[in-house]
Amino acid sequence: MKTSIYQFCKRNHLFDISAYLVLMVGGVLFLLKGAEDQGYYWQWFRIPKFLYEFDDGRFIAGPILEGLKITLNITWISLILTYIIGLVTALMRLSNSLLARGIARVYLEIARNTPLLVQIFFMYFVVAPILNIDRFVAGVLALSLFEGAYASEIYRAGIVAVNKGQWEASYTLGLSTYQEYRYIILPQAIRRILPPLTSQAISLIKDSSLVSVIAIYEMTMYANEIASETFLVFEIFFTIAAIYLALALILSRGVAYFENRYRVVS
Amino acid sequence: MSTKQFGDYIIRVDSIDKTFDNGVVALKNFSTNIRRSEVMVVIGPSGSGKSTFLRCLNGLEEIDSGSITIDGIPLDNDKKNRLEIRKEVGMVFQHFNLFPHLTVLRNISLAQMLVRKRSRSEAEDEAMQLLKKVGISDKVECFPSQLSGGQQQRVAIARALAMKPKVMMFDEATSALDPEMIGEVLEVMKDLAVEGMTMVVVTHEMGFAREVSDWVIFMEDGMKVEEGTAEHFFTDPKKDRTKLFLSQILE
Ligand SMILES: Nc1ncnc2c1ncn2[C@@H]1O[C@H](COP(=O)(O)OP(=O)(O)OP(=O)(O)O)[C@@H](O)[C@H]1O
Ligand SMILES: [Mg+2]
Repeated sequence: MKTSIYQFCKRNHLFDISAYLVLMVGGVLFLLKGAEDQGYYWQWFRIPKFLYEFDDGRFIAGPILEGLKITLNITWISLILTYIIGLVTALMRLSNSLLARGIARVYLEIARNTPLLVQIFFMYFVVAPILNIDRFVAGVLALSLFEGAYASEIYRAGIVAVNKGQWEASYTLGLSTYQEYRYIILPQAIRRILPPLTSQAISLIKDSSLVSVIAIYEMTMYANEIASETFLVFEIFFTIAAIYLALALILSRGVAYFENRYRVVS
Repeated sequence: MSTKQFGDYIIRVDSIDKTFDNGVVALKNFSTNIRRSEVMVVIGPSGSGKSTFLRCLNGLEEIDSGSITIDGIPLDNDKKNRLEIRKEVGMVFQHFNLFPHLTVLRNISLAQMLVRKRSRSEAEDEAMQLLKKVGISDKVECFPSQLSGGQQQRVAIARALAMKPKVMMFDEATSALDPEMIGEVLEVMKDLAVEGMTMVVVTHEMGFAREVSDWVIFMEDGMKVEEGTAEHFFTDPKKDRTKLFLSQILE
């Protein structure tokens, strides 16, 4: 009996899909029920104006879309910094210099073993005043340093996976360390590195919501503010959750594309 | 063989020692000198230190003590000396180690451009000539994975030769090849020897050793057990250990 259900599930996608739908509908009903029990009064019609308005037929972005713009800005700037920090850290960890390896280690331990929230506060309250940087820069730096630690692990894994013989052949031909990385090692490592690095963009989008704690007006910050002013808590957070989800799904399609592409090449 | 003219000593190895981090002693008080245009064949059982010896010669492995001098340049901590030696000593590996993401042409021209600072057209002309010499001019735009083992190894030899090295080292260059491809690679090596290239060759191909080598070293446990001309080795070896090894490998 048990095996037959198992086999049935394996064979039948329809079962998977229906199980999925039942769960999803169940989840939504549960939330609605919870809202109803609290006597929640749904006012979805008030939501669109926080997204956009038309003034004389002219499109005006509402606070949520304004926030989305900031979220996207934080994300792409942090993403570029993350990639650079990750690569530099990976190269430092793999270098012959004891000092470089030591610095990389300390940075990685701190970045990976303290909460991101604490890192953001630290950057804003401690580092920002010293370096005289504004909250946006502080937020972006904190995010990039946090994600950079994970990116460096991705780079490192990709680099050490390249056959040792490639280093030896390059060495005997007289290539410098820079030339070895640039022409021989990184072009071979990139196939393994690119897909997981693209996934990091998704983490960044999600984690960018945390910089709202230092009053950067990105999407979550606006949502929080609107919710406390209007009490449209469910509607607002459903809305921004849907936006985050949509962004993540678009990106994960992109990742899948890269994975396919690079699998074919190898 | 006897008609060959040798020059001065181009490689001087003076009592080198090498112990790996895990405590394995790979070379013990090893000395030898190699003359210009000489072909030295190194034989010995597995783990006797043959590869380690070659790898020390171009600095792929660090020696613990002793000294190595290549064409007057000491292999020391000076980066410029080391680079000079890397340029002058070509190496061919058992597993070819071609660059899989580059075409055959690019495999051979890249280091010429980066290290010897030749222009792309000079480098590619040189590559074409060498490919002709090793007999695979029709595979220029192929990637290594599209070639047979024998072809890959010949490309690897061309790649090393493109740097115009003064010494060529071969570490079991035919050991990973299917039997029918061994001949074509040995042929290229023979041609090189005839042209007067200085060569240090680790091989299990006793036919090649006998025919081409000027000097044979038999190693065991990181030490030289016996050395001499090919004729001495294959007709009248002195040590029992050498006789045993040769009888095992020749049967
Ligand atoms: N990187 C390394 N780390 C530790 N030990 C090593 C290393 N390379 C070689 N050895 C050890 O050093 C000894 C000599 O090795 P080497 O590769 O020079 O032998 P070989 O004569 O080339 O053998 P083979 O015929 O199997 O290639 C062996 O015992 C080997 O296990
Ligand atoms: Mg070996």
